[in-house]
Amino acid sequence: MSEVLQKETLLSYIGGEVEPKGTSISIRAINERGREELHNTAFPTRKDEDWRFIDLKSITKNTFVSVDEADTKEVGDISNHFLPEAMNTRLVFVNGEFNEELSSISDLPNGVIVGNLANYADHDSVKSYLGTITNYENDVFAPFNDAAFSDGTFIHIPEETVVKAPIHILNVFTDADKAFYATPRLLYVGEMFSKSTIIEEHIGLADNVYLNVPVTEFKMFTGSNVHHARIQRDSKQASHVSRPIAMLDKNAEYHSYTICLGAKLFRNEPRVIQNDQEVDFTVDGLVLIDGDQIADTHSIMDHRHAHGKSHQLHKCVVNDSAHSIFNGKIFVAKDAQKIDSFQENRNLLLSEDGKVNTKPQLEIFADDVLCSHGATIGQLQDEEVFYLQSRGLTEQKSRELLVYAFALESVESMEVESVEKLLLNEVIQYTNRDEK
Amino acid sequence: MLEIKNLHASVEGEDIEILKGVNLKVNAGEIHAIMGPNGSGKSTLSKVVSGHPEYEVTEGEILFEGEDITEMDADERAHLGLFLAFQYPVEVPGITNKTLLREAYNTIARANEREELDPLEFEDYIESKLDVIEMKDEFLSRSINTGFSGGEKKKNEIFQMAVLDPKLSFLDETDSGLDIDALKIVSDGVNKIASPEKAMVLITHYQRLLNYIKPDYVHIMMGGKIIKTGDFSLAEQLEAHGYDELQKEFALNGAQ
Repeated sequence: MSEVLQKETLLSYIGGEVEPKGTSISIRAINERGREELHNTAFPTRKDEDWRFIDLKSITKNTFVSVDEADTKEVGDISNHFLPEAMNTRLVFVNGEFNEELSSISDLPNGVIVGNLANYADHDSVKSYLGTITNYENDVFAPFNDAAFSDGTFIHIPEETVVKAPIHILNVFTDADKAFYATPRLLYVGEMFSKSTIIEEHIGLADNVYLNVPVTEFKMFTGSNVHHARIQRDSKQASHVSRPIAMLDKNAEYHSYTICLGAKLFRNEPRVIQNDQEVDFTVDGLVLIDGDQIADTHSIMDHRHAHGKSHQLHKCVVNDSAHSIFNGKIFVAKDAQKIDSFQENRNLLLSEDGKVNTKPQLEIFADDVLCSHGATIGQLQDEEVFYLQSRGLTEQKSRELLVYAFALESVESMEVESVEKLLLNEVIQYTNRDEK
Repeated sequence: MLEIKNLHASVEGEDIEILKGVNLKVNAGEIHAIMGPNGSGKSTLSKVVSGHPEYEVTEGEILFEGEDITEMDADERAHLGLFLAFQYPVEVPGITNKTLLREAYNTIARANEREELDPLEFEDYIESKLDVIEMKDEFLSRSINTGFSGGEKKKNEIFQMAVLDPKLSFLDETDSGLDIDALKIVSDGVNKIASPEKAMVLITHYQRLLNYIKPDYVHIMMGGKIIKTGDFSLAEQLEAHGYDELQKEFALNGAQ
């Protein structure tokens, strides 16, 4: 491999090489494949269309080491981050590594698996689907996760099984002496007519620099249903690049809600692939950023068959010199008639220096579809603030209420009460940071 | 209660003066009507008095119960007991009427060192006010003015006035866009709220509102000034002859 090419890959920022760590044949094979791709794929630059608005220097100015070399601090007591609804349905990963002690799994319906991947590497579903759903081309981040992960989450819901309690996948990141990388992995297999709620959370416990590159794969069989909430509260110095992807069979429903609060750099590329007719899916997002945070969502809603329904409401609130980017692609294949797809990106700019780039992108090859999209960028209207103020509310409270109202709809789709409360609290804190 | 002295105001950052020396005195128990053609400064006057940040007072002062409020923020004025019923009430999706009113009520109570109401007490209180404007209680849990008809929005302003119980209210073209039935309900509501301790200033184009709410004084505003003050007969005179005649008279007076 030439020296020049070396410099242009992600390997330059992670010490030159990733050693495969998978202990099973199935994971090891994915590690090897990922490493190969990582060596052969150039790190994106602003000349690449999909990366032209985003500043990646939070990654490129650092060198990230593996967790073993980072001298990470003790995790301490994190019970304040446990959800009361998920006291017995919780997996905890500390700096990307499974922590059995902090996890708690019991009382699951018969046959349901919620466990760590390394432990289930020989499970048929792991062998069949792990690493098969991601389809990111010319990508360095999914291959990086492929190359570096050795464990993760495995969730398997058998046929006709409903898991009522939300399953909480809690990724916490501790302080460390060195900047490190972590590659959380999740494989979800929902068999026919199964149903569950997944709360995937990423929390930075300190204010340190790290690189979090999660990959989540959802394989949804006929009639299966999942509600997938993703809450990103990484450290304000961290970079988070995630690849959540779902593959939907007939009549499957996948509803995802991504909430972005933390990280200095957030790049999310959710994808939903319609693998058969009559699916229903959601790719909603809520972004609340300030300071010099960057949050970039590049989504693909890929309709490949007829009779699908999809919905995307992506809301961003931008303060200080933060920067929000949205590129939402809706693909409708030639034979995918009767698709009903809706996309909306609404941005609320609270400052002079904030920046918003938005680009809805429809590529429709079928002729009998209902697809709508829209993007708005607005500010809090003086008239709205004055209206509330004239009723006696302080200016600060008026602004808080208006931002709260803007974010509320997204928060209410969480469906888990403690998560909604937590997020409403975050919204209030966010609006109060406004008046520095 | 309210004393406006030689008030001059312009849009913040612009040179064009909209109010050019308004004088007005309103005592407790009085109902005043300010009439005038479009662009005469009526709405601006109500916004300046309630503290809209878009306007700048360049001269004169506003006294409320003897206190100079000219430089106060809108919320501080509301705490003192001022209220503005908007000509175009703002839609706020996501916040219910009840949430806003409880927050507003308790903020005003706090500012006046009065007891705040907890959610249950507030529920009782607010429901007791629904009759004022013949409103159903589902109204309370709807987002503020969102998807309301023009009439519902105006009713909601009067309802908010009933709940917040201000000392002095400016009603900015509350009658515009109302059909006769809605106009009667709104006027009835205003009459129920009126009391010897309270004062109201109605801003309107037309006499029709004044057939239901009898003003003690009628003021004619033109060119950013109150040019004439009288009793109800002035409104009748205006209805009969229109503003043109007054305009001529005013121009004549101005030329003298």
